[in-house]
Order: sequence, then C-alpha cells, then structure tokens
Amino acid sequence: MNYFPDEVIEHVFDYVTSHQDRNSISLVCKSWYRIERLSRQRVFIGNCYSISPDKVIERFPAIRSLSLKGKPHFADFNLVPYDWGGHVYPWIVAMAKSKVNLEELRLKRMVVSDESLELISSSFANFTSLVLVSCEGFTTNGLKAVAANCSLLRELDLQENEVEDHRSQWLNHFPESSTSLVTLNFSCLKGEINLAALERLVARSPNLKTLRVNRAVTLDSLQKILSWAPQLMDLGVGSFIHDPDSETFYKLKNTIVQCKSIKSLSGFLEVAPYCLPAIYPVCSNLTSLNLSYALGIPASELIKLIRHCKRLQRLWILDCIGDKGLEVVASNCKDLQELRVFPSDPFGAGNTVVTEEGLVAISFGCKKLNSLLYFCHQMTNTALITVANNCPNFVRFRLCILDPTKADPLTQQPLDEGFGAIVQSCKGLKRLSLSGLLTDKVFLYIGMYAEQLEMLSVAFAGNSDKGMIYVLNGCKKLRKLEVRDSPFGDAALLADPGKYETMRSLWMSSCEVTLGACKALARKMPMLNVEIIDDSELTVDEALCGGAPVAVTADGDDKQKVEKMYLYRTLAGPRNDAPEFVCTL
Amino acid sequence: MDTSSPSSPSSSIDSNHNPPSSPSSSSFSSICLSSNHYLSSGRSTSAMRTRRGLSTDLSLCLSTSSSHQSQRRSSWPPLKPLLKSATVGRSAEEEWQHGSASGLFVKVYMEGIPIGRKLDLLSHGGYDDLALTLAHMFKTTILCGKRNKAPSDKYYVLTYQDREGDWMMVGDVPWEIFTSTVKRLKITRADRC
Repeated sequence: MNYFPDEVIEHVFDYVTSHQDRNSISLVCKSWYRIERLSRQRVFIGNCYSISPDKVIERFPAIRSLSLKGKPHFADFNLVPYDWGGHVYPWIVAMAKSKVNLEELRLKRMVVSDESLELISSSFANFTSLVLVSCEGFTTNGLKAVAANCSLLRELDLQENEVEDHRSQWLNHFPESSTSLVTLNFSCLKGEINLAALERLVARSPNLKTLRVNRAVTLDSLQKILSWAPQLMDLGVGSFIHDPDSETFYKLKNTIVQCKSIKSLSGFLEVAPYCLPAIYPVCSNLTSLNLSYALGIPASELIKLIRHCKRLQRLWILDCIGDKGLEVVASNCKDLQELRVFPSDPFGAGNTVVTEEGLVAISFGCKKLNSLLYFCHQMTNTALITVANNCPNFVRFRLCILDPTKADPLTQQPLDEGFGAIVQSCKGLKRLSLSGLLTDKVFLYIGMYAEQLEMLSVAFAGNSDKGMIYVLNGCKKLRKLEVRDSPFGDAALLADPGKYETMRSLWMSSCEVTLGACKALARKMPMLNVEIIDDSELTVDEALCGGAPVAVTADGDDKQKVEKMYLYRTLAGPRNDAPEFVCTL
Repeated sequence: MDTSSPSSPSSSIDSNHNPPSSPSSSSFSSICLSSNHYLSSGRSTSAMRTRRGLSTDLSLCLSTSSSHQSQRRSSWPPLKPLLKSATVGRSAEEEWQHGSASGLFVKVYMEGIPIGRKLDLLSHGGYDDLALTLAHMFKTTILCGKRNKAPSDKYYVLTYQDREGDWMMVGDVPWEIFTSTVKRLKITRADRC
C-alpha cells in the first residue's frame, strides 16, 4: 500500500464504513492513521465524557456526522439524578467555533437545551439531520429554531424525549421553501399541533418517507395527510379513534389502501379496537409493527390483526396479547427477528397474561428470532432451555420478570441453568439482561460461555463477589456492565482494575462497594473517572468543612457503602460540569 | 400526630427502631440529631443491607431516605418513562412533569449541627406545610415569616439562600417564587437574627 498515492488509499478507505473497522485501520501505521483521520466523516462517541470536543475536532477535521451518548443506561429507569450531566452544548460550541461542516447530529440520553438547538440552526449551513433519542432539556422553542433555520433539513427524528411544550407552533416555522423532509418524527411531543400547517408541510414534501405524529393529530387529519403522502414507508399514527360508520372513516380506509409502500406502523397513542380493521390492507406488507402504546386493545383484536401480518420482522406489543396471542404470532410470523413484549399492568398483582409458555411457543415458531425483550410474571428453567435450543441466534436477550427475585415456579430453583443454556447455545450473544432468582452460578456460566457478550445488565442477582469476578474474568469483549441491588463489593470491584480500561463503563448501585475501595480504584487507575453519585438525604454542612465541595466523601469514612457509582474510561480527566452531588474521586 | 401512615407498611419496623420519644412521619427516617445516634443508625443501615428483595427494601423505610424510596419505586420495573406513563396512567406522568421523580430537593441545616437533611419542597403545599415538616424533622418549632411571637430561646427562624447567594427570611415572597429561587435552607436561633 506504500506505493499508492494518498488519494488512492483514501478512496479505498471510503469503502470501509463501520466505526470499528475505521478505528482498526487507523492503527496500522502512521500514514494510514493520518489518511484515515483526515477523511473520516462519521464519528461515534459512546460516552460524551470520554474525550473533549476539541480533541475530536482536532483529530477529525472533516467530521460531518457526530453521534454522542450521554447518561448511563440506568438513567432510563430513574436511577440517575436529574441534573447529572450529559450536556451537548459544549460540543456544539466547539464545532461552531472550528467551523465544522456539521450535517448530522445523533444524540442519546443527553441534555439538549434550546440554546443548543438554536446554535445548531444558526451555525451549520448544511445541517440535514437531527436525531434525538431519550434526550431532555429542550422545548418546542428550540424546535422552532430548527424548523425555521435549517433550510436543508431532511431528518427531524425525536424518539422518546422529554420535551416541554411552550405552544410554539413550531411546525408553522418550516418555511414554504422547505421541501426536503424525508423523516419527521414528533410522536413524543405532548402538546397541540397546527394540523393545517402539518398537512401543508406534508403536501410539499415529496420525499417524505417516515412520518410519526403525536397524539394531537386526529384520525381525520391523518386521512388528509395520507392522501398527500401515499409514498410513505413508515407511519406513526397519533390518535386513532373515530366513529367507524362515518364518512371520515370510510375515506381513511380508502386512503390507506393507496399507501402501498408502508412497511412500518407505530404509534396508536390513542386507539379504539373497532378502528383497527382500517389498517388491515397494509398489514400484508408490514415488516415492523409497534403497538406498545396501544392500550385497551383486547387480545382477540390483536390476534385478528396479527393474522394479517405474515411478513413481520419486528413486533413490539403489550402483554395483553397473552400466551395464546403469542402462539398466533409464532404460527403466523415466520420471519420474526425482534420481539418486545411490554407489561400493560406493571404494578398489577400477578394477573398472569404472558408466562414462559408464550415465549416457548415463539421459540418453536420463529426460528429467525435474534432480539428479545420480554416482560413476564414468571419463567422456568425448562422454558429457557427449550428457547435456547430452538433459537441459537440470539444477539440480544433481555428478560424481565416483574418480581425480580422470583424462582422457577415449578421447581423453586434459581434460574441459573436456564440462563446458562442461553449463553451456551447463543454463541453470538452480545447483550444480556438477567432477572429472577439467580446465584453466583449464572455468572460462572456467563463468564465461561458468553464470549461475544458486550453488555450485561444485572439486578437483584448473585450471592457474593465471585459472581461479578467470573464475569470480569471471562467476558473478554465486555464493554458495559450495569449492576443494581446485588451483593458485589470491594473484592469484585478491585479484582481486575485494568479491565475497566477495556470497557466503556461500569455502573453499580445499591451494591456492597465501599468508598474506600472506590478511592483505591481511582488512585490506581488515573485514566478512569470514578464518580460517586450521592443524592441521598444526609449531607454535611459545607461551611463546617471549609467550603469545599461536599458529597459522601466529606466525613472520610472509607467503610461507608456507596449508593451509586459510575466509572468510565476517559482521556478528558474529571469533568468540569459535575453537579455537587457527583464526586469524581 | 399519627405515628403510622396507611401508605407505609413499615410502621411496625419503624417503631421498633425509633428512639421512643420521636413520632415518625412516614416519609422521613427519624434519625436523632446527636452525632452518636447518626453514626449508629448509619452503621446499622450498612449492616442491614444484605441481599434482599425489592419488597423488603420498600418496607425498610428507616434505612432509605424518601428520595431513595420514591426512586426505588419508580426504578422498577425497568420501563422508560414515556412507556410507563402510558400504561400506568396519569399519576406517573404528573410525577414526571415536575422535572424528576425525586422532586425538588434542598438541603436544610440546623445551626450548630453538622449533619443536614434534605427535603422535597414540591411535596409541600406551602409555608405552613413546610414548617410542619421541619418541626417534625428537627423536633422544634420553626417560625416561618410569622413574627408574632417574641424571639426567645425556644424558637428558631427559617432562612433560605437564594440563587444570588443572599440569605433571606422564609415567608416573605409567594410560595411559587420561593420554590423557584431557593437553593438551601437554614434554621437559626431567633435571638440571633
């Protein structure tokens, strides 16, 4: 390769697109490093605190697309305090200052202020794509700025964000000249929408392929929108309630028949069962169906619907479909690859709607299944072993038994053997979430067999430090470990400090780890940020401690248990935006 | 003054471990203010944290603060907030709309005592409510903007530090403005003001 001019090598590198591959080629030699970095356009930073924005821009001056992740995963479940961090603003400022030609920004679990959105819309003339997943901190005013100023905008994709509604009429701010939209997803917005403005926007966007609306968009507005956009491939319905005998409903049915390209359906944020038949005509083409917000649909209606969906590859559904419903899925949806079953009554007292039987049925019928998220009330070892034998292709296997320490109801045994079978059979398993009664043994199995495992989520499991040590020793590809309410302590934490530099992050909450051990780890591993998050009730008067920033470390009791610890490898040192309840050791 | 609350299944456990003189409010652990007692209850908290199920956790009110309790309740099952609020209904959504499931927590110190407490201002309706909670927490009467009693040893006044760092008397501004500007609270002796 040394005999080729740089342009040729660069041209070859253009074919190398995955982040991991590009990272690998940059390690080959100095000249490849240089060529790669100067030509890299897409950069993915899995932890926004692992490196400073300036360093990223310095290394990749041609960056056009940036993906950033902020808060740890358990922030989704209220375990991370509200203002822990993950601010995108410094990144925007740095890129604006360096005149980066930013086109795409993808953020997950970050705090995005209106200021950030305004700065994006005014700094990057070629900005085309904004994807925000599980973010917060912005209002519809920020969206107004994006709509008004990003004249080349193709993608505005807001997935499950917490957005304050300031009645900004943001949709009205897309100028008449804006005709480039390909993706528009505002399903998570809580407020009202100017329906006429939306209809006009859709009418002048011939390239629109994905449209996911919020609850404020009524069925009759939907009908008008669809008549303007028969080319849609991905539709998220808002409110789907109407008198089925009405003219409007009749028109909708006819309009939907014209939408021959729809492959993905979602939303149904409000839906009446008797309206569902309107979508039957598109079901035979559907590859993706998300009914996880569709409360109030009885199992019989769901089953009727599923019978029309023979090509489904992805199904997200509520557990009211029941085990019988899952049997219908198993016999109808032979191409199914991803299944998510959510609890319709998470705090209900064991109204057992899906059990291990539903999952077993799926495993017999859907041989291509590779991704599972399954909330249920009980699970047995036999069932898990059967599933493991039927479906060796799992890449993601996440089980959540609603009573987190429930044993196998048939044998009263822990579920060690069942999960052991999963990790042994599914040689490509990358992500695993455990639940149910589990001892150290399950971790022994995971350490032994889960060779490709990258992410492990543990809650209320294990007996001793040995459990966590098995995992740290065995899983060579482990990147993220998150543990809550499990008896892993100092011996586990300190068993292999060097391991954490090979991982993105470790989260431990309500475990047995002490402050002293965290301090020792931080001392030993300067390339880690070891954060202690203390949002508990008891604190110490700052004045009496000489005004120093105070957290759980103040009284210096190393034997004190740490409620929440989050550590991650970083080149950026301790972060300067940590709130006072976060102490980086 | 009730010593048990219908919503807390732990009242029997609480009464075994509380110092006999203190009535306990259901959402706050009643920890004595002398440092000895703090350390001892702190140690027993650690010792009691053996492996246990979530249900026992929720009933061990005395070992977890209210912020932990409400966090534990809202952190299981592991569902994203939007999905949870869709299925669980209004109450969860309203809880979220306050900005965080944990509410608005501020630290409050009593003069001369190094160990402070934290409380959730948003779970109080106004100044009277706040004064009542503080009276329970610190076992004393707090004057809150009403200065119709002559200052004496027995009374404490409540002050707060606002966003600008200034210390003010609590009760001078409307409650909504207070909650939007308060950073922390301090209870000082009335005769010192």
